[in-house]
Amino acid sequence: MTLNEAVIESVHLTEAEMAKYVIDATKEVFSTMVMMNVDDSFPLREPVTKFSCSITGMVGLVGTYSGVLSIHCPRPLALKITSNMLGMEVEEAGEAEEDVNDALGEIANMLGGQVKMVLSKGGMDMNISIPTIISGEEYTINSMAESDCVIIPFDTGEEKFLVSLKLKKE
Amino acid sequence: MPNILIVDDSSTMRKIISRSLRQAGLAVDEIFEAGDGIEGLNVLGGNSVDLILSDINMPNMDGLEFIKQVRANGKTVPIVMITTEGGEDILKEAIASGASDSIKKPFTPDQLGQKLGGLL
Repeated sequence: MTLNEAVIESVHLTEAEMAKYVIDATKEVFSTMVMMNVDDSFPLREPVTKFSCSITGMVGLVGTYSGVLSIHCPRPLALKITSNMLGMEVEEAGEAEEDVNDALGEIANMLGGQVKMVLSKGGMDMNISIPTIISGEEYTINSMAESDCVIIPFDTGEEKFLVSLKLKKE
Repeated sequence: MPNILIVDDSSTMRKIISRSLRQAGLAVDEIFEAGDGIEGLNVLGGNSVDLILSDINMPNMDGLEFIKQVRANGKTVPIVMITTEGGEDILKEAIASGASDSIKKPFTPDQLGQKLGGLL
């Protein structure tokens, strides 16, 4: 499972360098906006499509390159992220589904923005969609091109989450 | 003390910006919030606002159109874009449309304070 080769050639970055941008962006967003330090692990070799008791925030990228940037979090971590971002208790966040969705959507939006900065020369040749949230006890996310993707696991010390970037060149 | 209008479709980000303004030690009287450019124009129509902080990527009316409408209405209030859309061309268009400055998300309260200190 690797990023689309046409993308790698076009942006003149190796896949490892592209993954590094995603890792650095995720660490920066978490340290400044979530007040949480996270550690990354090696990118996964197999796609993850099934999720349990989780929340997925995603933004679409459209333009010179198109794709999806997603963050997949277990629900307890999503509540902790929301409570940190909004300065509320975790229990309070658990009763505010809209806030949890909004917080995860905003993280996906910030990460998508960072990826766009790497891919787009001036910013006008690509657009980012409004964030989409998927959540539930059990759900599956499938893509037509599952292989053109990089998935990076992160660890907060208590919980793990995934950030995935799927891209192709138009 | 100045009144500030925050225009962002994310309620989380509006709360983070409000908290960051306080943490940066900026003296602010009232903070108004709007979820898109249309709501922002409505708030501006009925309130005295000394500074606007606006996202770019929003539904209904995006930040670039919002700036144009604010300037078309003859308002000279400073507008700072707070956005993930940090591309050079987008920021050039925002400045050409009437934005005063920009700050990229994510940001720290100190970075926000330094950026806004000279405008308040």
